[in-house]
Amino acid sequence: MGSELLTEEEAAPPKIIYTDKFYEVFPFYLSIGMTYEQFWLEDANLAKYYREAFEMQRERANHDAWLQGAYFYDALCAVAPILHAFAKKGTKPQPYLDKPYPMKRENVKQEKKKPADNGALRGAAMFHAFAVQFNKKFFVSVNERHPADEGGDVNNGGND
Amino acid sequence: MGKYITLTDKSTGKVYTLEFNRRAIEAMERQGFVITEIDTKPATMVPMLFRGAFMMHHPTVRRDVIDALYDEISNKTALIEKLTDMYSEPLLTLISDSEEDEGNVEWGASF
Repeated sequence: MGSELLTEEEAAPPKIIYTDKFYEVFPFYLSIGMTYEQFWLEDANLAKYYREAFEMQRERANHDAWLQGAYFYDALCAVAPILHAFAKKGTKPQPYLDKPYPMKRENVKQEKKKPADNGALRGAAMFHAFAVQFNKKFFVSVNERHPADEGGDVNNGGND
Repeated sequence: MGKYITLTDKSTGKVYTLEFNRRAIEAMERQGFVITEIDTKPATMVPMLFRGAFMMHHPTVRRDVIDALYDEISNKTALIEKLTDMYSEPLLTLISDSEEDEGNVEWGASF
């Protein structure tokens, strides 16, 4: 059972019929886009490249499916507040992404360089306006209390 | 392009490209060629292998012309080795690299 010595009869090489193997895999190569002529008549290496291209297509399809799942997840998260059974009246869904995910590395870098958000900018501008208004009011009230200082003298804390 | 051999007939100046495609291998096997019998039946198999190498690019060359070319070739052993290597290529290209797993046995050669 597998431990016997090889006899001369057993040592004879088996007949390997390449054609059988060719016909066995032929439908697969047809399914990935190879033509009859390319498989049987042209350069044998074409099969290898077709197989590699097929693997790349599969990887791309897999990535696309994953990406679609990610967008779908984002969309679900955005509408999740209104899907809540006990959501308060007037609850609105979050806006969906305003643009697709950046795909290229340069686009990702650009996205990072861009100012964080228009809303944040607007907030900063409003705060600045508020600060200017507040300062103006503050100085007016101070001047009303100390009219002598109106000349613009600097309060030096009584160190004169 | 896969592996191929160029053969120049000095008497006529004609250049032949010897290569195997899958159709040629199928035709050769239909005619009785078996690659594993090349050592046990060299007188039959070697000329068949040589003739088969013409099928892809020179299917219309007559058998007696091919046989005459074969007779004129020097260093036949090296040529047969190359032809055997070329013959296996159409099959080997169908085997994915990932199918060749590492296994548990390593081997090395002294040459």
